[in-house]
Amino acid sequence: MIGLLGPNGAGKSTILKMLSGEIEPQQGSVTIFDQPHGREARRRIGLVLQEPSTDDLMTLEETLQLHGRLFGLRGRTLHRRSDELLDSLGLGERAGDRCETLSGGLRRRLDLARSLLHEPELLLLDEPTLALDPDSSAAIWDTLSTRVSAGVAVVVCSNDTAEAEAYANRVVIVDEGQVVAEDTPASLTSGLLHDALELDWPSATGNDVAELERWPGVGTVLWTEDQIVLTVEESSEIVPHLFQRYGSQIDGIRIRESSLRDAWFQIVGRPLTNSREDER
Amino acid sequence: MIDAAYASWALLSRDLRAVSRSRSQLYSSLLFPLMLLALLGTGVSSGLAPTSPRILNGDYTSYLAPGMIAMTALFSSTFSSAGFYRDRESGLLRAMLASPHSAQTILFGKALGAILIGTVQALAVLVLAVVIPGIDLAWQFGWLGGVATVVVTILALNFMLSGISLLLAVRIKTMQGFHLIMNLVLFPLFFLSGAFFPLDQVPTWLEVIGYINPLTYAVDLLHYASYADSPDGLIGPLIDGLVLGGLAMLLFVFGLRRAPRAV
Repeated sequence: MIGLLGPNGAGKSTILKMLSGEIEPQQGSVTIFDQPHGREARRRIGLVLQEPSTDDLMTLEETLQLHGRLFGLRGRTLHRRSDELLDSLGLGERAGDRCETLSGGLRRRLDLARSLLHEPELLLLDEPTLALDPDSSAAIWDTLSTRVSAGVAVVVCSNDTAEAEAYANRVVIVDEGQVVAEDTPASLTSGLLHDALELDWPSATGNDVAELERWPGVGTVLWTEDQIVLTVEESSEIVPHLFQRYGSQIDGIRIRESSLRDAWFQIVGRPLTNSREDER
Repeated sequence: MIDAAYASWALLSRDLRAVSRSRSQLYSSLLFPLMLLALLGTGVSSGLAPTSPRILNGDYTSYLAPGMIAMTALFSSTFSSAGFYRDRESGLLRAMLASPHSAQTILFGKALGAILIGTVQALAVLVLAVVIPGIDLAWQFGWLGGVATVVVTILALNFMLSGISLLLAVRIKTMQGFHLIMNLVLFPLFFLSGAFFPLDQVPTWLEVIGYINPLTYAVDLLHYASYADSPDGLIGPLIDGLVLGGLAMLLFVFGLRRAPRAV
């Protein structure tokens, strides 16, 4: 599973559109399964778009029947796969309901069922768990993990570093249309110190940042408009010093383990804005 | 080829099911032409006493009937294009275009639905026109030949309208914009098609526009097949058929060929 990670507007969805064959690259070429993009490649690809793609007037079963037929499935095979997928994603009891009655989370599950119906070898997903409840997110990630175990290649766009770190085997960091890093989550985070401190510090100056960088046990120091994030070896040693020296200037502090989010910060040089972790 | 036919059938049956569930679309497509027949037909026949030789016995309601059949096809085509926008806005069209089929196959399947629905609805108006007392239809080619000509004309008209809709819908991004264009272009063309008044008694400039108008040939053929008691004053089935058939094929094929994969 490859996670395409980047802020909104970085170019993740455009990459996915090129991989799915929806658009052609202005330069270079796309090769899928050692072949130029075309009908055969699309037969082997499953696609989940960023927004739910369901017709309110159709039932869940009809939605899968339509897409199955577009991929050449018919008869018992189509019905069996349709039933199995609906059941496995917790939609079996809703099979005869119209899509207009579904919540956002259930629509996303239906999208995933649709994309898996023809048993693709490559699955492309654009923010599949965006704005979903935890149950729906878990159902989707469980299904994806099962497919990856079965040998399906998955490319998933996200701006959620926690999800990418938890599920992706490799992460590709995209920023302003460029791939700026590509590795396993473990490798990307391996150079980071153990803890990360997020300081709400609107009055920080360049001199403050320079001083922090010289402190022993402090790794990277990244400064944005009103926040400083630093990776440290041991937060319990640094935090008392921080409050002793700058306590009156710091409005808030959050302590956590270093993560892919800090690796992003370190690689790109600015925080991953608009990310879902910010919302959380 | 079989795969493409199967996919088109899947899309066609889905659109038919969607229309059967959208009853307001069904009713409004039928009720509006019938309302015009009843109100405009009776009003003009009684209030204005038309004397044109093309309006037989001053019976404007019967004169209006073939035009209302054509108008039903036009309305239905517009409604079906709304389905195209609904699929585009819901993302369903993108999901369908991610299938192994060409964009042409997908849009052909969707257009087939629009054509079939438009044809059935237009023929429903024909049936109602036949059974409503006071509407006198005449069959130039006999009853069977007349109905067959009407069916073929409506099919060709729907193919042409679907071609126009495809050309517009893949370029105009919003449904509001699409309806604006349809209202601005298609409705004036419809008024100048001979559906509401004979073209041979209007000022020359209006008559010229009328004969440039492709809808004129469909309405003329419908009048010829189901209303007129003689070919006098009509363009005639040969020219009508050639113009309508040629334009239908040209616009439909052109509309499909211009369809992009990204919508």
